[in-house]
Amino acid sequence: MNLYIKNLLRFCIIIALQVLILNNITLYLFTEPAGSLFVPLVYPLFILLLPFETPVWVLLFLGFFMGCSIDAFMTTAGMHAAATLLIAYLRTNVLNALMPHNLNEYAGQQPSIKNMGWMPFLVYSGFLIFVHHITFFMLESWSWVSLLSVLVKILTSFITSMSFILVYILLFTKQSSARA
Amino acid sequence: MRNFILIIRRFFNLILFFILEIICFIFMAKARTLQGDDLLSTANMAIGLIYQKKSDLVYYISLDKMNDSLMHENARLRLAVSNIKSLDTLSSYKVSKELYNTDTTVHEVRFANYKYRTARVINNSVNSVNNYVTINIGSKEGVARGMGVISGTGLVGYVVHVSNHFSTVLSIMSKQQLVSARLKDGTYGFTSWDVEKPEVFIMKDMPQEAKIYKNDSIYTTSYSHLFPPDVLIGTVDKVYINKRNGQKQLVLRPATNFRKLMYVYVVENIQMPERKDLEDSTTKAK
Repeated sequence: MNLYIKNLLRFCIIIALQVLILNNITLYLFTEPAGSLFVPLVYPLFILLLPFETPVWVLLFLGFFMGCSIDAFMTTAGMHAAATLLIAYLRTNVLNALMPHNLNEYAGQQPSIKNMGWMPFLVYSGFLIFVHHITFFMLESWSWVSLLSVLVKILTSFITSMSFILVYILLFTKQSSARA
Repeated sequence: MRNFILIIRRFFNLILFFILEIICFIFMAKARTLQGDDLLSTANMAIGLIYQKKSDLVYYISLDKMNDSLMHENARLRLAVSNIKSLDTLSSYKVSKELYNTDTTVHEVRFANYKYRTARVINNSVNSVNNYVTINIGSKEGVARGMGVISGTGLVGYVVHVSNHFSTVLSIMSKQQLVSARLKDGTYGFTSWDVEKPEVFIMKDMPQEAKIYKNDSIYTTSYSHLFPPDVLIGTVDKVYINKRNGQKQLVLRPATNFRKLMYVYVVENIQMPERKDLEDSTTKAK
């Protein structure tokens, strides 16, 4: 499939998944008095799965666009966009540090478990998702008063998001011909 | 000049990153002002349509629950009508007392004049620090910013963004959203909400001598510009005394179930512009 069509489709699927399904899920495990701690945010995955050699300015514009769409759906006015921009900017550096070869040598490939191996992929997605969650939840609470509860929320949401992201990757990426 | 262009080319990505981040922060800052910013909200046309389609699907599944809640509300309203058949204090109150012996005219005192519009909830958030409800009517149906929104059982919030066919409602389950509230006997205060305890409202610093029991009802007052008076906010769940100042702190159970919100009423107070003008002129005259 064409690279552009594939990523456009993924953009739509991930937004639909996030907005129509995951936003309606309220997980209340162990948090009955304290409320919503497990907030799954999988949409940064779109930025994580773009091809290796995507230039940084394209990443930035796509991140901005993705963040603004999610903001419009959730009435958060720029918070998601700011967090997504940060990980879009950091992505190339993280990949450079994790991959054995120069990024230009992986033409036409996208980051995946088959491509990078389990550990590097987990580090790559885990680090960026963690940065994203810290930025977003800090911006959302916008105060130092409830810092402890925000930190707990960041950690628990991070674990929830990562499990949803792993499920997405195992379900929706071709396991057999990933290294074509 | 050449060096300048070279520097720009070298740090192009960083500069672009900062420009876009600054745009994001401008969006955020604008959303915090009272005027707000309609661009990134669910009142947006395209977003509203998507949520409308989704709610069409979900509504079909939950029609029976909706029927039940409508029946309950009908029963409640019938009871209320039979109790006060002679008097509708919300719309008008006729004073038929003769002022002078010679004056036989009937004086009609209007406190407020309310117009109700029904709307369907097409999207609803309960997880965030500020929670919003999207409804399927907008400025074409006469909705404007600042109108109060109530459900069949209690208070919901007020309209913050309006487009032609959709509007976004800031629910009272939002940070720093204070609602002027009163007890049955008229003692008034504020209810507030905190994201750390999303299931309850808090009413701080009620006087110690006020008699407050469990399951007492808390209503809105007429002081607010946003909400109509005498709408149920919640019932008292717990009362404890703050040891620092000896005041009573109330924990309220919300009257509205925000998770099952399906239809709401947008309430317009027709006399609000007049009241606002008067109040503004009084504060200016000081």
